[in-house]
Amino acid sequence: MKGTYLGEFEELVLLTVALLYDHAYGVALLEEIIERSGRSVSVGALHSALERLETKGFLRSRMGEATAERGGRRKRYFILTPIGEKALRDVRDLRESMWKAIPQTALTGGAS
Amino acid sequence: MSTEPTSKPNPPAWLIALLEHFLSSERQEDVLGDLYELFYRRVATKGERQAKYLFLLDTLLLLVRPNLTRHTSTLSSTSLSTSMLSHYLTMAFRSLCREKAFAFLTILGLATGMAFSLLILLWVQHEWSYDRFHSKADGLYRITAQVSELQTAISPSPMAPTLLGQLPQVENMLRLKPTENLLEVNGEKFEEKGGYYADASFFDLFSFPLLAGHSSTALSRIDGIVLSERLAKKYFGTRQALGKIIHLDNHHSLVVTGVMQVPLNTHLQANYLLPLSFLEKQGHDLHIWGNLEYYSYIRLKENISTREGVTQGITTTMNALFAQNEKQGQAVFGLQSVSDIYLHSDLVGDVPSRGNIAYVRLFSGAALCILIVACINFMNLSTARSAKRAREVGVRKVMGARRSELVGQFLTQSLLVAFLALLLALGMAWILLPFFNTLTDKQLTLRLLEIESLLGLFGIALFTGLLSGSYPALLLSSFQPISVLKGMIQQGRWSLPFRNVLVVAQFTLSIILIVATATVYQQMELLRNKHLGFEKENLVYVPIRGELDKHGEALAAQLASNPLTSQFTFVSELPINSTEGSDAVWEGKSIDEQVIFYSMQVDAHFPETFRVELLTGRGFSAEIRQDTANYLVNEAALRMMGMDAKQAIGKWFDLQYKGKIIGVVKDFHFRPLHQKVEPLVLEFNNATRGKLVLRVQSQATKATLVALEQIMNKLNPDYPFSYGFVDGEIAKNYSGETRMGQITQTFACLAIFISCLGLYGLSAFTAQRRIKEIGIRKVLGASVSELSFLLSKDVIPLVVLAFLLASPIAWYLLHGWLEGYAYRIEISPWSFALAGLLVLVVALLTVSWQSVKAALVNPTKTLRND
Repeated sequence: MKGTYLGEFEELVLLTVALLYDHAYGVALLEEIIERSGRSVSVGALHSALERLETKGFLRSRMGEATAERGGRRKRYFILTPIGEKALRDVRDLRESMWKAIPQTALTGGAS
Repeated sequence: MSTEPTSKPNPPAWLIALLEHFLSSERQEDVLGDLYELFYRRVATKGERQAKYLFLLDTLLLLVRPNLTRHTSTLSSTSLSTSMLSHYLTMAFRSLCREKAFAFLTILGLATGMAFSLLILLWVQHEWSYDRFHSKADGLYRITAQVSELQTAISPSPMAPTLLGQLPQVENMLRLKPTENLLEVNGEKFEEKGGYYADASFFDLFSFPLLAGHSSTALSRIDGIVLSERLAKKYFGTRQALGKIIHLDNHHSLVVTGVMQVPLNTHLQANYLLPLSFLEKQGHDLHIWGNLEYYSYIRLKENISTREGVTQGITTTMNALFAQNEKQGQAVFGLQSVSDIYLHSDLVGDVPSRGNIAYVRLFSGAALCILIVACINFMNLSTARSAKRAREVGVRKVMGARRSELVGQFLTQSLLVAFLALLLALGMAWILLPFFNTLTDKQLTLRLLEIESLLGLFGIALFTGLLSGSYPALLLSSFQPISVLKGMIQQGRWSLPFRNVLVVAQFTLSIILIVATATVYQQMELLRNKHLGFEKENLVYVPIRGELDKHGEALAAQLASNPLTSQFTFVSELPINSTEGSDAVWEGKSIDEQVIFYSMQVDAHFPETFRVELLTGRGFSAEIRQDTANYLVNEAALRMMGMDAKQAIGKWFDLQYKGKIIGVVKDFHFRPLHQKVEPLVLEFNNATRGKLVLRVQSQATKATLVALEQIMNKLNPDYPFSYGFVDGEIAKNYSGETRMGQITQTFACLAIFISCLGLYGLSAFTAQRRIKEIGIRKVLGASVSELSFLLSKDVIPLVVLAFLLASPIAWYLLHGWLEGYAYRIEISPWSFALAGLLVLVVALLTVSWQSVKAALVNPTKTLRND
C-alpha cells in the first residue's frame, strides 16, 4: 500500500500533469497549480512531489529543448503513466462512492 | 524597471553555485532551468529586487528537500555519523551506570567547579556591563581634570557648554552636581543622598528608562523633580507619582515630573534629579571657570571614525579654554570613556559606586583555577579507571576501530559527563546565588533563557568536557590490543607520574589559597586593631545641617550643660579619608616646588575629644583671637619642613593665609592605612560647621544618644536627627579587603573539597586494585593499622611536594598584595605550616577512609576465588 498511496498535494500535481498533457514541465505546472488552487507553492515543494511521483511510477519524464530564458538549461516534461492514471481514477472512485453513501440528511444542502 | 538595463539581471551567482553543489545531479538541470525561467518572469513582473528575494527563498526551500539534494554518502563513513554517535552515547551511559559511585564523584566534582565558575562568570559579566547600555555609549565621555598631582572627576561648569558651542563634533553635553537634600512628603521628612542637579539633556545622554513622565520634558520645568523608582515607591507607594508635591529643604515646593528606573549597572546610582536651572535660580553662578565642582559629560557625533584624534583635539581645546578664561588656576583636562568609569576610574571626588578591575581579573583567574582543578579530577579518575576499560579498547581495536574513533568515543563520554555536571551545576548555582549575592554585595540573577548565557553555559560544558576528556581519550586509545587482550594491564609508562602531578597541582593550589586566607585575615586584624593616633572607639558624630550653624553658641552651651554630652568638638571632616589640601609655604622653605599639605579644620576641643597627643606648644583657644590665623602641624609636616618640634613654634606658615605655628600634634591617621601618615595642617574651625563629634562613655551610649537627640530636635527641628560612629566609618575603608578575605576563604574551602573528592576516588580505586595483596598480607599477619598506613602513606610525599611548590608562589603573591599597605604584617611561617598540616591531615583522612575499609575486609572474601 505504501508505494501506491497518493497524498493530497501529489494528487493535485498528478491532475495538473494530466491537464497540461504535452506541456507539463516545472514552471508551467507551478503556475497552473497556483492559478487553480490559489495556494502558494514553492519550486522545492513541486519538484519534491514530482520526484516522489516518478519514483512511485505514476509519472515518467523526458528532457526537452534548452532555451536562453532558462539559462541554457533543458526542460523536463512529465507524462502520466497508466499506473498514475489508475491511481487518479481510484482516488476519484473512492471519493464518489463515499459521497454517494453520505445520507441526505447529513448535508445542509444548498451551501454545498 | 523604467530605464532599459544595459545588461540583463541575473540570479545571484553564489546561490547558483550553492544549488549546483547540493542538488542531486539528476534533478539539477531542469530544476535550475525552472528557477532561471521563474526569475526572468519575476524580473519582468515584480522587479529585480523582488525577483532576487524570491530566488533566495526558493533556493532555501529547495535545499531542505531531502529527495532533491545530493546524498551525503561520502560523509557516512566518518566517525560523526548519527548511528556511531548514538552508539557512543549508549556506551558512555552504560559505563557511567556500571560504576555509579565513580560517576557520582566525577559529576559532583565537576559540577561544584562549574557552579562556582558560573557564579563568578555571572559577576564578571555584570561588572563588565556597567554603562554599556546607553544608546551611543561608545561616544560618551566624561571630562576629567588634573590639578597639581590630584586626578579629579570634576570640572568647571562652563566647560561642557562651551565645547558644545564651539566644536561641531560634540553632539550633546550634560552637567551634574551632586547634592543631598531634605525631602518632605505629606509632612514626613526624609534625608536623601545621591541627588544630582542635572541639565535637561540628562535622559538624552543616559538611557535610564522613564516609568512616568517624558524624557524630553522631565527636567525642563524649573520646579520639577525626577525620582528613582525606589524613592517613588518609598514616598507614594506607587510608580505613578507624576504631579505629586514634594517640599525641598523646608523652602521650596517641587512637582514630580518623572519617575526613572536606575539600572543596577551604571556608575551613576542617582536617587533623584533636580533641574540645574533650579540651582541657578537660587543664585548659583554657572559661569565661573575657577570652581571645579561639576561632573561634565559630552557625547561625540556618531559618524566620527577616529575617536583617538578627536578626543586629542578636544583635550587641547579644553586646556586652551581653561587657560584663556581662568588666569590663576592650573589644570590639565582629559576625557574618559563613560563605560570605563566604574571599573577603571580612580579619581578624586568621583561618584561613590566603584568597581575594581583588579578584583575582576583576580576572580576570573580564581574561577578558571577552580574549573581546572575540577577537570584534573575528572582526568585523574578516568585514567585510574583505564585498566578496567583496557579490554574493551583491545576488542574494539581488533574489530577494526581506528584510534580517532576511540578518541571520539571517550570524548563523547567526557562531554556527556560535562553536560550532566552542567545540569547539576545550574541547580547548585541557583541555590547558592543568594549567598553569593551577599558575599559580593550585588543583585545578580540567573537568566538562563538569554541566548548569551545559553551560549556561555554551552561553552563552559564544552570546554570542561574537551579539556578533561582529552588526556584519558589519548591514553586509552593508545593501548596495544595484543598486550591488553593477553591480560597484561598496561598502565602506560607515564600514567602514574602524570596522575601524581595532577594531585600535586591540586594540593598546591589548595595550600596557596589557605595561606592567602590566613594572611588576609591577619592583615585585616592588623588594620582593625592598629592604634590610629586617636581613640576611634566611642566617638559619635552628627552632621551639621540646616539652621544649626546659626545656633552654634546655643548648641555648644546645651551640650556642655549635660555631663553626658560635654566632651565634644566641631571638625570640618572626620579623619577617615581626608582629601582636603592646599599649597603650603613656610618660613625657610628651601624647595621651589609646590608642596601640598593635607588640611583639616578643628576647634579648641579637638585634642582632648579625639585623644590626640599634643607634643609641644598649645592647642587652639577660643579666647585668643589671632588663633583664627594660626596653625597646628603634625610630625610628618615637621619632617617635611625639616624642623624639630621646638624650632617650629612661632615660625610663620602659609596655607592660603599667613599665620604662625603654635603647636605640634603627634601623628594620627586621617587616611586609610594603605599609606603612611602624611603632612597635615590643622586650622582653627571657629564656626559651627562640618561635623559635631562627641566622645561618649561606653556604658552610657544609649542615654547620650537620647540626650543628643533632644538637643538636636530642639535646635534643628526641620531636620530628622541622624548620627554615626567614627569607628564604623573607618571600617568602611576596608570593606574591599573584608570581602576579599571572605572570598579567598570560600575559594580555599572549595579547592580543598574538590581535591579531596578526587583523592577519595583515586584511593578507592587503588584500594580496590590492591585488594588481593591486602588479603595476602592480612593472612600473613599484618594488622589493620599497618595495612591502613601502607595504603595511605603514598599521599604524604605528594602533599610535601605540593607544600614545597606552593610556599614560594604563595609568598610571592602575598608579598605583592601586602606591598599596597604602608602598615603590613610579616608573612608568618606559621600560616604556611598551618596550611601544609591542614592539607596533609585532610588528605590522610580522605585516603584512610578507603584504606581502613579495605584493610578491614575479611581476606577469605577477597581470596576465595583464587
